[in-house]
Amino acid sequence: MTEGAMTEAGPLLEISDLSIRFGGAPSNLVDGLSLRLSAGETLCIVGESGCGKSLTALALMGLLPMPPARRMSGRAVFEGRDLFELSLDQLKDIRGDRMAMIFQEPMTSLNPAIKVGEQIAESVRRHRGVSRAEARAHALEMLCRVRIPAPEKRLDEYPHQMSGGMRQRAMIAMALANDPALLIADEPTTALDVTVQAQVLDLMRALQQESGAALIMITHDLGVVAEMADTVAVMYAGRIVETGPVARIFEDPQHPYTIGLMSSMPDLGPRGGRLVTIPGVVPPADAMPEGCRFASRCPFAAPACAEAPPLRDLAEGHSVACWLAPLEAVEPGAAEEVA
Amino acid sequence: MDGRDLILETRALRRRFVTRKPLFGPPVEVRAVDGIDLRVRRGETFAIVGESGCGKSTLARMLVRLIDPSEGAIRFENRDITRLEGAELREMRRHLQFIFQDPFASLNPRMTVGALLEEPLRAHGIGTPEERRARVAELLGRVGLLPQHASRYPHEFSGGQRQRIGIARALAVSPKVLIGDEPVSALDVSIQAQVVNLLQDLKEEFALTLIIIAHDLAVIRHMADRVGVMYLGQLVEVAPADQLFTRPRHPYTEALLSAIPVPRVGAKRAARALEGDPPNPIDPPSGCRFHPRCPYATELCRTTVPELAIGADGASVACHRAQELTLEGLAAEGGGRSPDAEKRFALYRARRSEREGANPSSPSQLTEI
Ligand SMILES: Nc1ncnc2c1ncn2[C@@H]1O[C@H](COP(=O)(O)OP(=O)(O)OP(=O)(O)O)[C@@H](O)[C@H]1O
Ligand SMILES: Nc1ncnc2c1ncn2[C@@H]1O[C@H](COP(=O)(O)OP(=O)(O)O)[C@@H](O)[C@H]1O
Ligand code: SF4
Ligand code: SF4
Ligand SMILES: [Mg+2]
Ligand SMILES: [Mg+2]
Repeated sequence: MTEGAMTEAGPLLEISDLSIRFGGAPSNLVDGLSLRLSAGETLCIVGESGCGKSLTALALMGLLPMPPARRMSGRAVFEGRDLFELSLDQLKDIRGDRMAMIFQEPMTSLNPAIKVGEQIAESVRRHRGVSRAEARAHALEMLCRVRIPAPEKRLDEYPHQMSGGMRQRAMIAMALANDPALLIADEPTTALDVTVQAQVLDLMRALQQESGAALIMITHDLGVVAEMADTVAVMYAGRIVETGPVARIFEDPQHPYTIGLMSSMPDLGPRGGRLVTIPGVVPPADAMPEGCRFASRCPFAAPACAEAPPLRDLAEGHSVACWLAPLEAVEPGAAEEVA
Repeated sequence: MDGRDLILETRALRRRFVTRKPLFGPPVEVRAVDGIDLRVRRGETFAIVGESGCGKSTLARMLVRLIDPSEGAIRFENRDITRLEGAELREMRRHLQFIFQDPFASLNPRMTVGALLEEPLRAHGIGTPEERRARVAELLGRVGLLPQHASRYPHEFSGGQRQRIGIARALAVSPKVLIGDEPVSALDVSIQAQVVNLLQDLKEEFALTLIIIAHDLAVIRHMADRVGVMYLGQLVEVAPADQLFTRPRHPYTEALLSAIPVPRVGAKRAARALEGDPPNPIDPPSGCRFHPRCPYATELCRTTVPELAIGADGASVACHRAQELTLEGLAAEGGGRSPDAEKRFALYRARRSEREGANPSSPSQLTEI
């Protein structure tokens, strides 16, 4: 019986108060981040680039180079064990087995010099004591499951012999080969054509249904979020500023950053006027505002925002880190006026 | 034929690249652009979409003569520019300016922004040194940067700001046409919105014609008057944007639209995801090039090439079955953001303009680096 089974009722993964900084930087690039994820759940993390999404994912996988990165605080309890307390060997046992990661660029995890089938088989052999022949058979089955055409032939191909979409699928096959309980996907479809993206998303959803794995998906595409997420976490400058069930986030966005992000994306309707924008850019680590980190770009900023707003529950599972939330309560009638 | 004022046209434009020279036999060629008739009207925003490798960049680069066509003709303001050389080519280029996807790669890292903006002016012998300096300051202001930015180097700027520099540089010589190859694709959503607004403002202000290549269909829907859809080196459909998005006539256009993830909870994509990868342009399929992936293909499609036929409405489509098929597009009202969220967006917009005053591409807001 695994330790995971004892915590079945609890979350699969619980991150609390994770902070990361680089070298002598004056501020944390991931700052007091807490998240929980249940078995089988899909959590999408959204935010502009540089907000710390990838850092968070890499920290969970134990893939952050330390130094220069330093973990200032935090725990990440996965199946009952704190990932940050594990030895490198223990981590390697979990990686590619109980949890796996896929990247925007498939060559991050595929070795260009080894045939795709061998790479998958190797990962299977490492975590399960099976024979070479069994591992190869399993690799073939994985290539079939990710719907790579002519899988027998592809087994003996090198990554560069495949198209971008196929490589992405090969990487997914490798990540899922040992039926992980948690898959972390960092912008897995950002570099793909919209048609290939649709195939990969369909595939990920189908595989997740089969295996019951939980998924943390990092993306900046709200369309992808709407399609995939159960829960959404909006991240800004290293902090989660809003989190909740996907329907709440789309129907009742409360944090000014979430609102700005959503309304700056052109929707697919008839041509409107100008896009709404968020002025400026994400502040760098050495110019991070004290208090609310969004204050330098926030159209609602007020003197109170010089102090950091805590993440507060507005409704079941919907929390926001903004002094003004809920917005309408602060500006009664304002929305009706301008609508 | 087309009575409207055409500014840029191509006729049967082709470009082949040699990809491999085997020891024996003829070299292996890829037909990157394979017979394109494009008609861009003065003052419009024309967008080109298609999967990676279908020839969009090759086409765009030929339009400004950054690469030479293998066959066919390019006409700018009714003048054949296909074979212009030397001074004539330089003079013509002044009117056709290019914006690159990667603003960093396209700006010389050793030149200050001021020098980068002045260079095209100097190359075209425009103005005295003082006039050019004044023009540089004016251009910087126009794209939302500050006069003092002229003395800085490209690496000191963010991606969005570098794209503004690229745009300012293209604008320096007062072109008639701006051609952007994925000009906002490398930018973050919030920055992308700033640059999209800027391009639209500039287009109005300087009466530009915009040709935009983008793979983000939402951006295209937002910006374009007309859209051309490319598949394997050819145009398969050209139509006004609204029509193309809501009533596509080519099966490939339908497939592209159905693949867009809609940013609305519960909006399921049509489950009919296109199968397979785009085929190899080295050895394109017979007949209709889309037939191996087309759910409507018939025997005729496998053997006979459909011509791009111009309909009465000026829109065109290259499909044997265009007349009989009823294809599915996006809902006319679009993404359908929830009314509650729209209220929130309105509140944000109101606050934003109250605080910032002028429009978001104005200089006042872009002081930070
Ligand atoms: N200089 C070159 N030499 C050989 N082949 C080339 C060259 N430039 C482009 N090609 C080929 O021509 C075809 C069209 O390329 P192009 O860059 O125009 O595509 P694209 O539509 O812009 O794609 P993307 O969306 O990926 O930018 C591709 O098959 C490409 O590999
Ligand atoms: N190796 C590194 N050294 C220093 N800073 C880094 C390094 N990697 C990432 N950062 C910084 O950490 C912040 C968050 O980065 P990242 O997690 O990659 O953002 P995201 O994935 O949200 O785009 C950024 O400001 C980035 O510049
Ligand atoms: S706390 Fe203040 S600055 Fe931060 S998001 Fe809310 S209103 Fe804006
Ligand atoms: S010509 Fe035939 S194969 Fe080509 S798009 Fe039309 S129906 Fe499909
Ligand atoms: Mg990242
Ligand atoms: Mg291109």
